[in-house]
Amino acid sequence: MIKKNSKTGLEIWSNKLTKIYGKKKETIEAVSKIDLRVKPGIHGFLGPNGAGKTTTINMLVGGISISEGSAKIRDLKAGSVAAKQLIGFLPQDPVFYNNMTGEDYLRYMGQLGGLQKKEARLKAQQLLDFFDLFKARNREIGTYSGGEKQKIGIAASLIHDPKVLILDEPTANLDPIGRIDVVKKIKELSNRVSVFVSSHILSEIEQMCENVTMIDNGKIVVSDSISNIKKSFISNLFFLDTNMNEKLVDQLKDKDFISKAWSDDIDGKIHIIPKDAEKLRDVLPKMLLENKAKLYSFYQPELSLQDIFMEIMMKKRGNKQ
Amino acid sequence: MKNKIDYPKGKKESNSKKKILNGIQSMKIWLSKNIFKRTAIIVKKTFLDIYSLKKIIITLIVISLFPLIFVLLPTTVDFGLISPNHAATIIGFALIFPAFFWTLGLVYTMVIGTSGAPLIAEEVKSGTMLLLVSKPISRLKIFIGKYIAVYLYGMLLSFLSIFVIGWIGVFVKSGNIDHFISLIPFLTALYFYSLFILFLFTSITMAFSSIFKKARSASILVIFISMFSYVAFLLIRTLTGPFYVAFQLFHFDLGYHLGNIFIMFIETFNAVPPSISWQLMFGQITGVYSIGTSIDPDQNINLGGLEKTNYYFPEFSLLIWILIATLLLVFGIWSLRKREISV
Repeated sequence: MIKKNSKTGLEIWSNKLTKIYGKKKETIEAVSKIDLRVKPGIHGFLGPNGAGKTTTINMLVGGISISEGSAKIRDLKAGSVAAKQLIGFLPQDPVFYNNMTGEDYLRYMGQLGGLQKKEARLKAQQLLDFFDLFKARNREIGTYSGGEKQKIGIAASLIHDPKVLILDEPTANLDPIGRIDVVKKIKELSNRVSVFVSSHILSEIEQMCENVTMIDNGKIVVSDSISNIKKSFISNLFFLDTNMNEKLVDQLKDKDFISKAWSDDIDGKIHIIPKDAEKLRDVLPKMLLENKAKLYSFYQPELSLQDIFMEIMMKKRGNKQ
Repeated sequence: MKNKIDYPKGKKESNSKKKILNGIQSMKIWLSKNIFKRTAIIVKKTFLDIYSLKKIIITLIVISLFPLIFVLLPTTVDFGLISPNHAATIIGFALIFPAFFWTLGLVYTMVIGTSGAPLIAEEVKSGTMLLLVSKPISRLKIFIGKYIAVYLYGMLLSFLSIFVIGWIGVFVKSGNIDHFISLIPFLTALYFYSLFILFLFTSITMAFSSIFKKARSASILVIFISMFSYVAFLLIRTLTGPFYVAFQLFHFDLGYHLGNIFIMFIETFNAVPPSISWQLMFGQITGVYSIGTSIDPDQNINLGGLEKTNYYFPEFSLLIWILIATLLLVFGIWSLRKREISV
């Protein structure tokens, strides 16, 4: 029986989810006690290569065993047949039965997902249409382009009407057009199904997701909505624009509370990295008055997810060192 | 509102019967939907993957080569003058050894091994298994589905092989259809034996496929077991001489056990009379018969064939190897369930 909603309201939940490889003496903790809380919508799962994204996903879909802790898909034990009925999955670098046509493959996957023969055929045709593959439906998958393969993979993961779609690096190895196409389709799908998508292409995640979980070395670094993360990571970079940027930049360079100040070649503004941001805010109005300068703008630029990710990673690695 | 309809008594009874039948029907549907349906889908897909007409034709040609040599051996019998039963017996004599050793022996087990070995190992290695196990189907059903597909393929292959070698025998010797009909008990015995061999070697193959990372390793090991059973132990038996019995090597001699079981099927179906010529050959190859004479030297009575070594009762041999095959099947399922599957 398919559960419609979870008691917790979460699509994916994990408690101290851990994966340990190796035997007694030589063990590697690929994923270490992670607590996932994936709400309905599109949830990004970020991390550098080798961070543990794929290992986590493989545990959620029942490919590999859970060493310690537990995970649930809408209150059902991850990896169980009942939980798998609720998920659709596209692995990283998916491999298909290349001698099957696109339609046959979808019908096969549909029937494995519990659809009757007729239902599977109908659903396959609808999905082929949705993913603009209808013309290619009778071609062998081996002849498909990278983008087409990725789309047939997503279609196959959707065919049994899952409630949660788990996509592992769906845009990796695609050309820019293929990426845009796949991202567009994922966004369209989010109206019908929750999506848990892993990627290291952060600009795409930023486009698609409301919430993200960042992982590094098998541990969660941050997990929140993108807007909250952005709020909490205020940049230490200030932009200043006046009618006398050149004069002011020289004065700023001499101040002891300034770490670095320069006039940017591209936007022409003064870029300031202070040692003490509060002191900069106090002193700057006085400087402007003394120089009788006109202030055009003074602000902190909003950080992109990429910047935040880099900052977190730099801090982590800095701390380690 | 509709009035309540009063059915006559007899009708009511048939209604309750109907209810029971409906219950059985819905149970059947539930079973087919929940237990068998997804397994059947795996069976169909796997069977179509293994099956290829070209492969079957090549296999049939190879499988027929060795029996053909035996059938072509000259005989002084005039097939035009003898009864169909007599003709079938002579053809059976010619086919019995190559059928055991080659058609349902070396070639058959190797074809099963090479067809079944990639089914799990290769899918895990290539990455398609990860997609499969992420679908709402248990690994048990995936294994059973693939197992049944190999078994069905083997059933088809042995049916065709036995038919082909039977027909070749008749065609070469007489070309008389009545002779082929009289050969049916022999061919049936071969077919039942092939189902046992199939069970054993499918279990071995699928267990290896479930354990090994590389399909090639699984295939090689099955081929090795096949060679070891049919060829290596023949040498060991010959070279060790009396030590074979003294050290009770027959316990581990799969070739002997298979021969023992084969003879049991032949005897059960009363397929080929115990002729000393084929029994001698069987005695030398499998160790089932004592190499000696069929005449009791003390009383000068024809014993009706060579005496059996009887290291094992054939039923016991059959039971042991069915048990081993079942254990391998369970082990294969267990291995797949425990196997870590990722890209």
